[in-house]
Amino acid sequence: MGYLNNSVVTVDAILTTKGRQLLAQADGTFRITQFALADDEIDYTLYNPNQPSGSAYYGEAIQNMPLLEAFPNETQVMKYKLVTLPRGTAKLPILDLGFSSITIKQGASLAVNPQTLNYTGGNQVEPSGYTFTISDVRLMSTFTGAGVNTPQAQALNQTNTIGANVSKTVVGTTLNLKATTVNTLFGLENALYATLTVEGRDSGARITIPVTVTKVS
Amino acid sequence: MSFKRLEADDFVISSDSITAAMWVGNVPTLTYFFTSSVQAAGQSGNYYLNVYSSSAAQDIQFAIAYGNANGSGSTLYNDAVTGSSYTTTIYGQYQNLVLGDENAAFIFGNVTSSDFWAISIERNRYKEAIFPGSLFLELSGSLGVINLTDDSNYVTTTTFTEAGRVYNLISASAAGTIATGAGSSNTGITADGWSADLGSYGWLLPDIGTILLNPTALTGSLAAGGIGLNVSRSLDAPGNNNARLFLAISGSTASTFTLNSQETVTSDFIFIRPRSSEFNYSENPSFISGSTGEVLYSSFVDNPQVYITTVGLYNDTNELLAVAKLSRPLLKDFTKEALIRVKLDF
Repeated sequence: MGYLNNSVVTVDAILTTKGRQLLAQADGTFRITQFALADDEIDYTLYNPNQPSGSAYYGEAIQNMPLLEAFPNETQVMKYKLVTLPRGTAKLPILDLGFSSITIKQGASLAVNPQTLNYTGGNQVEPSGYTFTISDVRLMSTFTGAGVNTPQAQALNQTNTIGANVSKTVVGTTLNLKATTVNTLFGLENALYATLTVEGRDSGARITIPVTVTKVS
Repeated sequence: MSFKRLEADDFVISSDSITAAMWVGNVPTLTYFFTSSVQAAGQSGNYYLNVYSSSAAQDIQFAIAYGNANGSGSTLYNDAVTGSSYTTTIYGQYQNLVLGDENAAFIFGNVTSSDFWAISIERNRYKEAIFPGSLFLELSGSLGVINLTDDSNYVTTTTFTEAGRVYNLISASAAGTIATGAGSSNTGITADGWSADLGSYGWLLPDIGTILLNPTALTGSLAAGGIGLNVSRSLDAPGNNNARLFLAISGSTASTFTLNSQETVTSDFIFIRPRSSEFNYSENPSFISGSTGEVLYSSFVDNPQVYITTVGLYNDTNELLAVAKLSRPLLKDFTKEALIRVKLDF
């Protein structure tokens, strides 16, 4: 008879940049209500189902690996979420934006309409919509979600983030964006760069694409 | 599908008192003391003297100031205004802060004093408060050396002022116990650790990070429990009393100033409970084979094996507020449940 491993894993959390921003706003938006799990840093090709030592060793290259500390930048963590799907799922939901990257001129507008492939047996727009996160909100003069009319989504879409190099997240089935017209942001550069992360609110599927705003004059 | 709501009993808030070494570099005892000639010669030098832990004069550890109700010990602001000097400003400042009454006097033990030395600890050193009972200060005077501690370990009732808790300073042995005058050259120290006729040696005010020293007791003779510390109470003349106390602290044969800080850290514990049927598939690109979304290995269809590395805490609008990383990956599949306790400090 051996001892049962009943230990609780204890970890220290850090606030993200967004968390500190919302804490500073003191408007009640800093309220933890839900959690998600992710497997950032894991390379599943290291999992070896042909391990000659047996199934207990299939994951030996993964389970003892050292992990990096958490990054405070909320766009650089929780990249690959674990999702709850029925047992027997052979294909995982993946997102299709219709773009592999976005290059947009200063002042120009664009609408992004994602759909989820392999979701509940087909390809469809998720009922709860998608979260759209731009890594640097200064690049967009308009960044709003449309198509989801819950109070939480509407509150998020109406939030103003002014003058700071922080991310902004909106919710909707469609993303409407317009590139900034502010010349001073460019400095001596001809283009500004950010990333757009889209995540299915039902499926957890996620995709990140680069965004480039080019200077007009 | 990828988020799970937390229940009310998943949250536990805990406040813990944390003590730590006081001085820079996380050391409890300061043995080398430095001042800055620039600061001492400047306008602020008329009021206080900053004390550093290194000759580079980078990290202020504490400041020394001298207060006198009559304005003695420094030049007057204006020769035409008697009794108004830098030392009256300091006296009034602490009178307001500690006593809250401009007519009240400092009473060290049972002796009313019209002056004091104030040792004001740098705020980022004492954090929230000085930890009572941790003080050990060695002072040297012309007649000898005295070690001081506070009487928090010997009183049953804590006294409060406008500045919070107050403890009397008493004579201490190297072991931190009360050192009486019996068997020593300093015959004037009572069984309480006070000077025989000149009251206690001062006050420890832990909640404002301040120590007040009673000059009357320290300047006394050995028979009175003093050490012959020198203080200038001349009117309209620079008394250099800040420098005098600095020399008493730093000039001892084994100059020692020991203190601990204390702060209350409030932690939010959040219990993360993924059930056996939850979080068993991954959106990790390496979990998927090709561009169609098929899982990497056929065995993952019915028996997926995923590894938790990161816990994200979100608000209602799916904004990531806090994040925690595990020290190593935690295997999760349909046969396993996990309990992860996330600690969030404020």
